[in-house]
Amino acid sequence: MSNVAAIKKTPEKSAFFPETAERVLAGWAAFMAARPKDPEWLAQLRAQGADYLKTRDLPGAKLEGWKYTNLPPLVKQFGDTLGQTLVTFDPVPGVLVQPLTAAQDMDWVREMLSRPAPVQDANADPALWHLCNLYYRDGIAIDVPAGTEAQNALNIAMACDEDLLYIVHTAIRLQPNSRLTIIEDHRGKGAFWKNALSHIRVEEGAHLVHIRIQEDSDKAVYTQTTEVEVMKGGTYEAVALYTGAKMSRNQVHVRLMEPGAACHINGVSLMRGEQHADTTILAEHLAPHCESNQNMRTILGDRAHGVFQGKIHVHRPAQKTDGYQLSKALLLSEGAEMDTKPELEIYADDVKCSHGATTGRLDEEPMFYMQSRGIPADEARALLIEAFAAEVLDLVKDDVVRENLADRVREWLK
Amino acid sequence: MLKITNLHATVGGKEILKGLSLEIPAGEVHAIMGPNGSGKSTLSYVVAGRAGYEVTAGEITLNGRDVLAMAPEERAAAGLFLAFQYPVEIPGVQMTTFLKTALNSIRRQRGEAELDALDFLKLMKAKQKALGVTDEMIKRPVNVGFSGGEKKRNEVLQMAILEPSFAILDETDSGLDIDALKVVSEGVNALRGPGRSFLVITHYQRLLDYIVPDVVHVMANGRIVKSGGPDLARELEAKGYAEFTGEAA
Repeated sequence: MSNVAAIKKTPEKSAFFPETAERVLAGWAAFMAARPKDPEWLAQLRAQGADYLKTRDLPGAKLEGWKYTNLPPLVKQFGDTLGQTLVTFDPVPGVLVQPLTAAQDMDWVREMLSRPAPVQDANADPALWHLCNLYYRDGIAIDVPAGTEAQNALNIAMACDEDLLYIVHTAIRLQPNSRLTIIEDHRGKGAFWKNALSHIRVEEGAHLVHIRIQEDSDKAVYTQTTEVEVMKGGTYEAVALYTGAKMSRNQVHVRLMEPGAACHINGVSLMRGEQHADTTILAEHLAPHCESNQNMRTILGDRAHGVFQGKIHVHRPAQKTDGYQLSKALLLSEGAEMDTKPELEIYADDVKCSHGATTGRLDEEPMFYMQSRGIPADEARALLIEAFAAEVLDLVKDDVVRENLADRVREWLK
Repeated sequence: MLKITNLHATVGGKEILKGLSLEIPAGEVHAIMGPNGSGKSTLSYVVAGRAGYEVTAGEITLNGRDVLAMAPEERAAAGLFLAFQYPVEIPGVQMTTFLKTALNSIRRQRGEAELDALDFLKLMKAKQKALGVTDEMIKRPVNVGFSGGEKKRNEVLQMAILEPSFAILDETDSGLDIDALKVVSEGVNALRGPGRSFLVITHYQRLLDYIVPDVVHVMANGRIVKSGGPDLARELEAKGYAEFTGEAA
């Protein structure tokens, strides 16, 4: 009989302390050397980003808001070379779409890009935001003039196809009483990391429908930060349909700035294999008489992992707030996992806020009922899953867009 | 047609069917009556193939084919149909989608050509009319927001469209007023014919005034304990089930 002494390993310390995103900084000097001189405001933004990332790591499981989504191990190989996202779109009459570099000297664009990063708190972390600014090169600016009601949806396709880090910036402004539907299509190939930052401003009485179809390769990592300001009587309506990416984190932060502002943040994630989809939403009510809705459906097969972190934050002046949040998850296998963290933070005393979350399996009764009518189990299951996703997709008013989304769900189910 | 031999079945480890035998020839309508808890609904679920209903002995054949070896959808394709006592609501799945998928699944399993949307709608319209199923009803999700009577009419509509060779009606009369009962019974009677048999499960003799059976069986304690003609139903209505359950009248 032999005794084997337990071997204790001291974890290797980073050369920097406490921790830094050194890998993503590795190529930064070379990136900057190849760039023309930045205007002062941009130089400042980059410097802030660099300062932050020299002392802090990318967000991971050690942070409360990232405890279910551990980013650093998934992206440790990325950072020294930047990919070039190929953006294509069909022009829509009345809607101005241009490269960010061409638009960046306009006041509204500069102001948007210069918005301060969130402070590290609860679900928020500034690292991904700073990373975008650090490597800012170009992006898309979308501007809808006052009173313009775009008849057609603006389709934007974003393609990445190399195993590199991609940075995507978007600035969107809807001027008073304008309307637009944007459909973002993500269909990249390969094992890339796409880190995107979108700034959106919906002005008085304007209405933006913002649809994202995420069908990137299941080897890709996709981190998206969307920050939205909604002014008086404006509406921001988002629908995110996620079937792609190995790991995705969709962070949406909406600020309802003035009375009558509304947001509807809806999503459907369909995950299988080892996929991981995290939806983290913050709806901030800063003014009275605003409405926010969060409605999420997550469908998980195999060993897929879903995360929903949704928060409604009602500030003191925001009386008569109407806040709603519902996350429902469907687990199709034993190995699937859903983590849900709903939160309300309310400082006003006259508000209506509700939230709910469920995680369950497909009901046996409807399955048997359909099978007893001759519908094979697979088909019955598909119909029930489609119906589950439709609870959210049916909120899309445009028939063509809704059918397109339903088709994608059916495609996934095949 | 349908032949059940010495059927034993358990639910949650408890034996409910205890050696039930029953034979229903082609073209006949048989009724099963019996007190609560005698195993009537269990029988219907076992024949339809519901999970959780375990057959421990015996056999069921439909036209000589082994029913117990088939998945529920295969039983439907083989010609079995169960009109549910409590039709299930399926939010988000529209009636038309549901029925068209069902019919085409059955046709596909039988090696027949599928119906396109137009031919299907024509077929459904024709069947709808007789049963008083409105267009508004079929635009709704399956059974969602239907009244008790509408749900039962909907069961008969499904039967009329799927045209099974053997149908079980599990307490189709429960929750129906007299007008609805007539509509549903007429729907069933219209489907009667030499190639089709029915097993009507009911508590009350009333339904059998409208759907007149060829044979009436009394079920108690998981077995058929007596069989007779339509008169047996009236006799039971008058005397109750006490003589079959061992309780004093």
